[in-house]
Amino acid sequence: MSTTIASPPAAIAVPQPAPSRSRGYWQGVARRLSRDPVTLFFGAILLLMALAILFAPLLAPHDPYQTSMIRRLRPIWFQDGRYPLGTDELGRDMLTRLLHGGRLSWFLGITPVLIAFAIGGTLGVIAGFAGGWVNMMIMRTTDVFYAFPSVLLAVAISGALGPGISNAMLSLTLVFIPQIIRVAESTTTSVRNLDYVESARASGAGALTIVRVHVLPNVLGPIFVYATSLISVSMILASGLSFLGLGTKPPEPEWGLMLNTLRTAIYTQPFIAMLPGLCIFATSMCFNMVSDGLRSAMDVRA
Amino acid sequence: MLLYLVRRVLYAIPIALAVGLVCFMLVQIAPGDPINAIVPADAPQEVVEQVRRDYGLDKPLPIQFGLWISRVVQGDLGRSLATGRPVTADLVSAIGNTLMLALVAAGIGFVMGSILGTIAAVFRGSLLDKAAVGFAAAGVSIPHYWLGMVLVVLFSVTLNWLPAMGAGPGGSGSWAWDWEHVKFLILPAVTLSVIPMGIITRTVRGVVMELLNQDFVTTLRGKGLRRGGIALHVVKNAAPSVLAVMGLQLGYLMGGSILVETVFSWPGTGFLLNSAIFQRDLPVLQGTILVLAIFFVVLNLAVDLIQTALDPRIRRA
Amino acid sequence: MTLSRRALLGATGLAALPSGLILPEAQAQSERVLRYAISMADIPLTAGQPDRGAGAYQFTGHTIYDPLVAWEMDVADRPGKLIPGLATSWEADPADRRRWVLKLREGVTFHDGSAFDADAVIWNLEKVMNAQAPHFDQRQAAQVRPRLPSLAAWKKLDAMTVELTTKAVDSLFPYQLLWFLVSSPAQYEKLGRSWDRFAAEPSGTGPFRLARLVPRERAELVRNAAYWNPKRIPKLDRLVLVCAPDAVTRSNALLSGQVDMIETPALDMVPQLRAAGNRVVENVTPHVWNYHLSMLEGSPWRDLRLRQAANLAINRDEVVQLLGGLAKPATGVVDPASPWFGNPSFKVRHDPDEARKLVRAAGFSPRNPLKTRFLIATGGSGQMLSMPMNEYIQQAWKEIGIEVEFRPVELEVLYTAWRNGAAHESLRDVTANNVAYVTSDPLYALVRFFHSGQVAPTGVNWSHYKDAETDGLIDQAVRSFDPAEQDRLMARVHERVVDQALLVFVVHDTNPHVLGRNVRGYTQAQHWFQDLSTIS
Repeated sequence: MSTTIASPPAAIAVPQPAPSRSRGYWQGVARRLSRDPVTLFFGAILLLMALAILFAPLLAPHDPYQTSMIRRLRPIWFQDGRYPLGTDELGRDMLTRLLHGGRLSWFLGITPVLIAFAIGGTLGVIAGFAGGWVNMMIMRTTDVFYAFPSVLLAVAISGALGPGISNAMLSLTLVFIPQIIRVAESTTTSVRNLDYVESARASGAGALTIVRVHVLPNVLGPIFVYATSLISVSMILASGLSFLGLGTKPPEPEWGLMLNTLRTAIYTQPFIAMLPGLCIFATSMCFNMVSDGLRSAMDVRA
Repeated sequence: MLLYLVRRVLYAIPIALAVGLVCFMLVQIAPGDPINAIVPADAPQEVVEQVRRDYGLDKPLPIQFGLWISRVVQGDLGRSLATGRPVTADLVSAIGNTLMLALVAAGIGFVMGSILGTIAAVFRGSLLDKAAVGFAAAGVSIPHYWLGMVLVVLFSVTLNWLPAMGAGPGGSGSWAWDWEHVKFLILPAVTLSVIPMGIITRTVRGVVMELLNQDFVTTLRGKGLRRGGIALHVVKNAAPSVLAVMGLQLGYLMGGSILVETVFSWPGTGFLLNSAIFQRDLPVLQGTILVLAIFFVVLNLAVDLIQTALDPRIRRA
Repeated sequence: MTLSRRALLGATGLAALPSGLILPEAQAQSERVLRYAISMADIPLTAGQPDRGAGAYQFTGHTIYDPLVAWEMDVADRPGKLIPGLATSWEADPADRRRWVLKLREGVTFHDGSAFDADAVIWNLEKVMNAQAPHFDQRQAAQVRPRLPSLAAWKKLDAMTVELTTKAVDSLFPYQLLWFLVSSPAQYEKLGRSWDRFAAEPSGTGPFRLARLVPRERAELVRNAAYWNPKRIPKLDRLVLVCAPDAVTRSNALLSGQVDMIETPALDMVPQLRAAGNRVVENVTPHVWNYHLSMLEGSPWRDLRLRQAANLAINRDEVVQLLGGLAKPATGVVDPASPWFGNPSFKVRHDPDEARKLVRAAGFSPRNPLKTRFLIATGGSGQMLSMPMNEYIQQAWKEIGIEVEFRPVELEVLYTAWRNGAAHESLRDVTANNVAYVTSDPLYALVRFFHSGQVAPTGVNWSHYKDAETDGLIDQAVRSFDPAEQDRLMARVHERVVDQALLVFVVHDTNPHVLGRNVRGYTQAQHWFQDLSTIS
C-alpha cells in the first residue's frame, strides 16, 4: 500500500518546482504521458472500468438484489451466458453484482481521497505559506495522526464509531488528511522561499494573490499526484473494512463484502469466489500504475 | 549530535501523550454514554454508578483524561467487557504473537525486496527490471486478505502442506522454533510480506540506481575497485534510507495485520481487535490501539536515531 | 484417534527432543487426544456458568461441572428427559407445591478433593442469586439468573438435602435446574477468592478437569478418572477445544487434519468435507431460527397483519436449500411432531400474494415500505448461516413492502441485548432480535417467551408481550403436575403463539457436526447439550 510506501517524514522528497509552471510545462507533461504506453494502457483499462460501473444499471443483465436459492453458486457462463460470470451464494448474478459493487467500491475508495485532498491540501498550503506558529499548530497535530499506522487508525475510528459506510469513509478521510497535509506543506514551504515569491511579496502583493498566482500552480500538481497514489490504498483499505464487516452492510454489493461472503464458496466455485478480489486487485493496480506514470511525467519525486 | 538526540527523544513524549489522547477519545466518539463502553450492558445500576465514580466519568473531560493516563502508565488498561479479564493480560500474549508475525513478514519482505530491487537497479531497463517493478506494483496493489485465502486453498487444502489456521499445534502459549510450529507461521507471514516486499523493492531500486549514477561510484570504478568493493560502498550508502523504510514497514505490519490475522485466526492484536469491534468491547479496542500506536512512536524514534547514527548528514527537526 | 505430536511429546516427556527423534513405539502408549474446533470466538466462561448461550454448556459446562438435575444425553432417536445429576431426587412437597426437596448425591468430590454437599449447593446459589454475598459473581449471575426465574428462596435441610422454594407453584421448575452448575467453594477459597483465578484453575465435579486455558484460543480438558458416574468417565485422555469462529477456517482446519472434529461446517464445503472421508452427523434439534418481534408501544409489529405478512413472505424451502438441506422449515416454535404443537389455525407457509395484501391493508407497499431495524448476529453457535439467511429474508420482505435494516453484532452482544429486553435504551431503534432459540422443554419453548411474568429482564419475554389468556393457560399448566394435562395446555399456548404470529418462524436447525474418520462414540442428542465424554 502506498501510504505505507510514501512516507516517513524524510521520504517525502521536496519536489523541485520549476519557476512558475507555464502552459509549456503542462504540454511537456502531456507529451511525456503520450509516449508512455504502460501508463496509457492502465489508464485505458481504468477508463473502461469507470464507464462500465458508471453505466452499470444499463449494462447489468439482472437485478443486483434478486436472489434465488435454485440457481445459487452456478458456474461461469451458466445458462449459455445468461449469467456470464455465474451466480453468488444467494443466486444473484455475479456480473451484475460486480458492476454495481464497483460503484460503491470506487466511491468508497475515491471520495475519502478527494475530501482529504481538499482539506489536507488547504491546511498544508496554509501551514507552508504562513509558517510560524500556524505551521507549528497544524504540523504538530498532523504528527499525532502520523503516529498511527494507517490501517490501525482506520480500524480504530471505524471500530469506535461502529459499522457503516459513512463511518468507514470518515475514518479513511481522517487517515489521509495528515498525509496530504505533509506533502502540501513541504511543497509549499519550498516554493515560498523561492526568489520570485519573495520578490512578489516585496512588491507588495497580497497574500491571497501570491498564493493564487505563484503558489497554487506550483504545488497543486505534486499534491495531486500524491493524492492519486493514495486512491489504490484507499480502495484496498475500504474493501478491507467491508471485509471485516465495518464498511458496507449487506445486501449492498461492494467488492470487499462480496469477497467476504463468497469465501465459503472457494471450493465449490473457486473462480467466482476470486472475482471480487480480482476486481479490487486490478483497479488498485491500475491506479498505482497511472499514478506512477503521472509522477514521472510531471517529474515529481516522491 | 547529543543535543539532537535529546531533542528527538523529548519530542516523542508529547507525541505519545497526544496519541494517548486520541485513544482516550475513541471511547468518547463511540455512540452512546461512555459508561456503556466500560460496564457490561446488563450490570446492575449500583455497579454502573460505582464504576462511574471510580473512573471519574462524572468529572470534566480533561480530568478524566488525566485519571485515565495515570492508570495507563501503571499498566491498567481496564477490563474487557466481554470476558471480564484485564485487558493488559490479553494484550501481552497478543502483542507477542503479532510481533513475531510482523518480524518474520518484514524479514521475508526485506530480503526479497532487497534482492529484487538490486537486480532491477543493476539491470536497469531490462526485462528483469520490468518484471521486478511489475512484481513490486502487484505487491502493493493486491488485497492481501484475498491473497491469504488463495494461499490457504492452494497450500493447506489442495496440497495439504501447511496448516490453515492458528499459531502452532498447542496454541500461542507454547511456541517453539521447530518445524511443527514454524509451518503455522509460513502462510500468514508470506501473505503479510507482499506489501513490504513491494515497497522495499521500489526503495532499493531507486536508491541503488541513484548511487550507481553518482560520482563516487564512477570514481571508485575509475580507481579500479572490483565489483565486490563497489557493492560494499553501495550497501553502506543505501543502508540509512532503506533502514528507515524498513523500520516503518515493521510498524505498519504490526498495525496492519488485522486482516491477515482474521483470515488465518492468528491470535494476535488484529484478531483481538476484530473480536473487540464486534463485541463492542471498547476497553480492549482502546488498549490495543494505544499499545500499538505507542510501539509505532517508539519505533519511529528508534529508526530516526539509528539513521542519524549511520548517516549524520540527515538531521531532522 | 489422531495424535497431535505435541500431546505425544507431553505424554512421553520427550519435549526437549527434536521432533524427528520420536520413536513410532511411543505412539502406542501415548494419550488419546481429540481436537475439536468450536464455533465460538472465545472459550466460554470456565468459572461455573458458561456464557455464550446454550451451545456452550457442552464445552465448559457439562465437561467440568455437573448440574443438580441433568439431561439424558446419550440417546439420539428420541428427545431426552430429566435424569438425576448431583441431586438424586427432587420432589415438590404435596402440602406446599412451591417447596422442592432435593436429595443430594453422596460421595461426590470436586476436582480439588473437597466434598460436594448441601453447603456447596447453597454457596453456589448465593454466588449467582444474592448480589450481597461476598463471593457473588456478576458474570456468572448474568448468565444463569434469567434461567432460574422461578426460584425465590433456598435453604439447607441437612448435610445432603436442600430445599428450594419457587415464587409460585411451578411444575416445570426442575427444567430450570438443568442450567445451574456447581463449582467448588474450597477451590475459590484456595485461590484467594478471585473468580478470575478460578476461571484459570476451575474445580467442579464433572468428568473432565481443565488442564490449560488460553483465552480466545483453546481449552485443554483432561479426564477425571475419579468421576462419580462410571458411564461418563471420558474415553479420551485429553479433549482440546479450539476456537474457530469462522466456518471456512474451521472447515479448512478439518480438511487439513489440524483438528479431528468441528461444529457447524461451512455448508458449501460439506461435499468437500464428505469427499475427504469425514462424516456429517446431524439430528433433530429443539431449536428455532426466528425473529422475535417487539410488542412495545411504537413498534410496527403490534399490527397482527404485518406479523403474519412477515411470516408469509419467506420461502422456507429455499432457506433450507441455502443451508444445504441441513435444516427443516419451521411452522411454529416447535416441530409439528411435538406434543406442544397443537393445531394452530394460522398456517405458516410461503404465500407472497397474501403477504402483500396484508401489508397493503396495514398501509404499506413496496413503494412506500415499512422501514425498521433488526438486531442480528454476525454468526455463532445456533445462528446457522446468519448473514446469508438474513440477507435472503431481507430481500423477500423487500418484495412485499417491508424494508428491514440489520445491525449485525457479535452473538454475545446479541444475547446481552436479548436478556435486557426490547425496552432497554440501547435498543431504542430496534424492533426485533434474531437470537435462535432452544426449545427443549415447555419452559424453554414457550413459558419464558410468552408469559407476562417473564418480561425481560426477569425472564426473556424480550418483546414485552402481555396477554391475559396466554398467561392463564401457562399458569394453569405450571400448577398442574399431570404431564398429559400439561401437554394439552402447552399445545393451546402454542396455538395462540402461532395464530398471533408472535415470532417470524424460519427454520429448525439440525445442528450438523463433521467428524474426522477416526472419531467414534459421538452420540448427538436432540438438544444443545451434548456429552463429550463418550467420544473416543
